[in-house]
Amino acid sequence: MLKKSKKTNAEPKVSTSPATMVDRTIIGDQIFIEGNIRGEEDLLIEGSVKGSIEMKAHHLTIGSKGKVQAEVHAANVTISGKLEGNINATGRVEITKAADFHGEIKSKSISVEDGAYLKAVIELEREPTQKAVPLGKPETKVSPEPKKEPFILAGKDSKGN
Amino acid sequence: MAAFATDLNQKDLNQHLGLEGYTSNALKLFMEHLDQQPQSRLLDVGPVCQENVRFFASRVSKHYVCDMFIRLDRYIRKGEPVSQIWKELDYHPESFDGILVWELADRLDEQDVNRLVTLCHSMLKPGGMAVVMVMGDQIASSETKSFVVGQNYRIYLRPQPHLDLPLRGRQNRDVLSMMVPFIPAKSFICRPGFMEFLFQRE
Repeated sequence: MLKKSKKTNAEPKVSTSPATMVDRTIIGDQIFIEGNIRGEEDLLIEGSVKGSIEMKAHHLTIGSKGKVQAEVHAANVTISGKLEGNINATGRVEITKAADFHGEIKSKSISVEDGAYLKAVIELEREPTQKAVPLGKPETKVSPEPKKEPFILAGKDSKGN
Repeated sequence: MAAFATDLNQKDLNQHLGLEGYTSNALKLFMEHLDQQPQSRLLDVGPVCQENVRFFASRVSKHYVCDMFIRLDRYIRKGEPVSQIWKELDYHPESFDGILVWELADRLDEQDVNRLVTLCHSMLKPGGMAVVMVMGDQIASSETKSFVVGQNYRIYLRPQPHLDLPLRGRQNRDVLSMMVPFIPAKSFICRPGFMEFLFQRE
């Protein structure tokens, strides 16, 4: 069944402001949803969902009982259940050892526990490359000490490969 | 073929490999090859681990992961024929610039090794490379381990206690004969009996 939970990360007596309380919807393990889900709060799925899930600013959790077949767009995704589909996350994807995932992951960062059942294509967001300063053109700001190490682009070798 | 099941614990293993791990020359060459490929695609057959996903996904355009160790484990536990696992490697021919086979072959019988090698050969692009490890009888253990990649191509072995797989120890010459469709590009002796192989598809 659909439930509403509130997670508090401060003493409840002090404040109930949005900064200290996060809304989360739970899709219970007896619920089956087919269609598109859009949301503006965190979501925990313990039931079955088929379709698409869009919650670009929020956290999607697929619990250990959850079975999801969907295209997922979310800020962060945690998988402890079964997910078949593609994930596009602006933040982090966490795959626990209880997860069974099949699909593509595009995210900024990823964590995978040993034991996760995984068949995936993973594309991590790369650091933006910086434009090289043309030779002979002095920098506008004078640095007190010259740089000793040449600038090397992340993920590339000294030959630029 | 001789089968080894010398149960070394992690302490014994570290004594053989060094607590600090070892530097993998094969992996270094393998990554240099991938760095030269535009839109490089890599397949890792596992065991999947956090460090390797981060390392490889940040170095290649597309990092494919299909953990065949955990699949093999599940098939064995369910009593299903191991030969069925190969349907999991359903990638198109010539999909990858590199494949990390690690020590998967040591967990398979002769027939399945041949299937694995045939599939790897098919899935690799011409000129593509595969990394194969052989632990040898001195440090081989029935306990499955992941080859965890650290900084500067250092590799550490981490036990995977959730995996219960048979060990069919292979000698170096066995690896060379099983990988016949490939050109042996390089091999490195890391410790007595422990070798890394780099194979290339023509």
